[in-house]
Amino acid sequence: MSNTQYWNRETSTIKQYSTPVTQQANIICISDPNDKANQKLYEGNLEGAKILAIGSQMSDFDIDLLRASNANVIFASHPNSREPLKMLLQEIPSIQWIHCRSAGIDSIASEELASSSVLMTNAKGAFSSTLAEYTMMAIAYFAKDLPRLLKQKDDRNWEKYCIEEIRGKTLGVVGYGDIGRAAAKLAKAYGMTVKALRRNPQHSQDDPICDEVYSNDKTSLHRIMSESDYILCAAPLTPESKGMFDEEAFASAKKNCVFINVGRGPIVEESALIGALKNGHLKGAALDVVAIEPLPKDSELWDLPNVLISPHNMDMTETFTQEATEFFIEENLPRFVRNELLLNPVDKVAGY
Amino acid sequence: MANIICLSDPHDDANQRLYHGNLPKGAQVIAVGSEIDHFDIGKLKEANANVIFVSHPKSREPLAKLIQQVPSIQWIHSRSAGIDFITSNELSNCGAMVTNAKGCFSSTLAEYTMMAISFFAKDLPRLLKQKHSKTWEKYCVEEIRGKTLGIIGYGDIGRAAGTLAKAYGMKVIALRRNPQNSQGDPICDEVYSNDKTSLCRLVSKSDYILCAAPLTPETRGLIDEKVFSSAKKNSVFINVGRGPIVEEDALIEALKNGPLKGAALDVVATEPLPKDSELWTLENVLLSPHNMDMTETFMHEATEFFIEENLPRFLRNDPLLNLVDKVAGY
Repeated sequence: MSNTQYWNRETSTIKQYSTPVTQQANIICISDPNDKANQKLYEGNLEGAKILAIGSQMSDFDIDLLRASNANVIFASHPNSREPLKMLLQEIPSIQWIHCRSAGIDSIASEELASSSVLMTNAKGAFSSTLAEYTMMAIAYFAKDLPRLLKQKDDRNWEKYCIEEIRGKTLGVVGYGDIGRAAAKLAKAYGMTVKALRRNPQHSQDDPICDEVYSNDKTSLHRIMSESDYILCAAPLTPESKGMFDEEAFASAKKNCVFINVGRGPIVEESALIGALKNGHLKGAALDVVAIEPLPKDSELWDLPNVLISPHNMDMTETFTQEATEFFIEENLPRFVRNELLLNPVDKVAGY
Repeated sequence: MANIICLSDPHDDANQRLYHGNLPKGAQVIAVGSEIDHFDIGKLKEANANVIFVSHPKSREPLAKLIQQVPSIQWIHSRSAGIDFITSNELSNCGAMVTNAKGCFSSTLAEYTMMAISFFAKDLPRLLKQKHSKTWEKYCVEEIRGKTLGIIGYGDIGRAAGTLAKAYGMKVIALRRNPQNSQGDPICDEVYSNDKTSLCRLVSKSDYILCAAPLTPETRGLIDEKVFSSAKKNSVFINVGRGPIVEEDALIEALKNGPLKGAALDVVATEPLPKDSELWTLENVLLSPHNMDMTETFMHEATEFFIEENLPRFLRNDPLLNLVDKVAGY
């Protein structure tokens, strides 16, 4: 696929449209009608497009009316979209395109979706730089021993100690998409060595940001774990990636390795992670995602001193969801109504 | 010949190679001490001492005396970047060359700067509080990208921080004594000269202010109440230069009542920070014990710079690296 078929917030330019509209978009929103980020969409001043319905449960949708109105587009932003989406796909054959407002589609994936012929697009590229910023913060948190600084402040203790350089260390990126690559770019600016693991290593052959690229097999995973001072999981959750970071993977980790997860919690076998954090295989972990969100109060992760936890908000800027909706309105909708190729197509079978 | 006096701690691990290792041919250490009484001036003159290697923090007095009493001194090398700890009239007026460790500590301090910025942008204090209370509460974070970093003192350290900031997509504006030296600098979007109006203007445009200046008579107390009151609302102040460049009371005031959102200080006016300083208790302050450039090897590397770079140059009569302007103080 060509690079121009994916959108990147940092590098893409806004396209101007001068050609006429050739097909109408009749949009069903599986969304919260009170979601402020979608205001522009709900207001409805959309060229060649109309909002037919906004809801989040099956009972919110009048199927007959939607069929009669030739509903052909679904915009999904509600966290519980999976079931309504399945139903709409089954009941309304005129649906051509589903746009997912977030990057991860694991929350709406289903057999029905995977086997349908509809086009699917997502918010790939929308949140990368913020997660790259978080990644470097997580690295610095451990390299400069921020916990020690904060404790010393609490105790009014002025005690010098040695800090680690980030420069010269190795970052291993597992899942080398937009987010992985944005983090790699920053890591390179710091003078780190970058290694990546991805399903299609050939796509990164001449990548100047990446010093070495491995393919997605167990041996390679253990190898990248053994070579990296910091491991970043930026992979999507798919049947293939689920549970890939298991006991064996953590046992292969380089001494004093720090594990950072901005992908999805279930990619990690959480008990194996906790084990590795307790027995010293890992120096620490920074987790923006966990297996069950919100993290249950009885999870050991809350109590481990060498864990930095964030409530899956490290990409959550004040405007990020609004920008994600704007991407739909300003980039893909104009393309759809002009029968042009849509940006950010998702491989429904692969799951990302 | 290089006959070296070390104004240093004889047990300083980082200097062992200097004291006991292989030095370039023609160089030898003739004395190691930290107070003037440790030295036999007569013997030093006899041995034609011509180089002083300074690493002890309390070197100001002994150095001034050595300069006066040993006229054969040609070159003084400071193991650290800052020379504010050894300046004196005697030093300014003597004919000896002075060199320092400019450039040795820059990248680590740049890393610290971005960490300090992230600390506030992602509200790390809130994350840690929430962890403590086992609270899973989403909140909005700020992007670093698109924000403005204002750098006061645009030397090696300032420029290293600017380079990283640019990689993050920040806008970088800088203030220095010689703005013309930054004229086509790709890292720096705007450069100001060192006058009060420009300084106030720089802080009014910066989301993050980095002080990376040396301590000189000109910079002492430079960042005062007027400057802080000109700062952008919710800006963050970071200091990796020297504590006395900042009027600490004015800083504390700006932290308590605005406009500062917070501060990250690796240096303070009095080090160690006295236990009764309000800085310990202010929640919006990140304090570090002047160690954010202190890697396990940094002092060793600084000593090696002396041994491998400048000592050979001195012996060959080549120009030395990192000459300091004794009058300017850096």
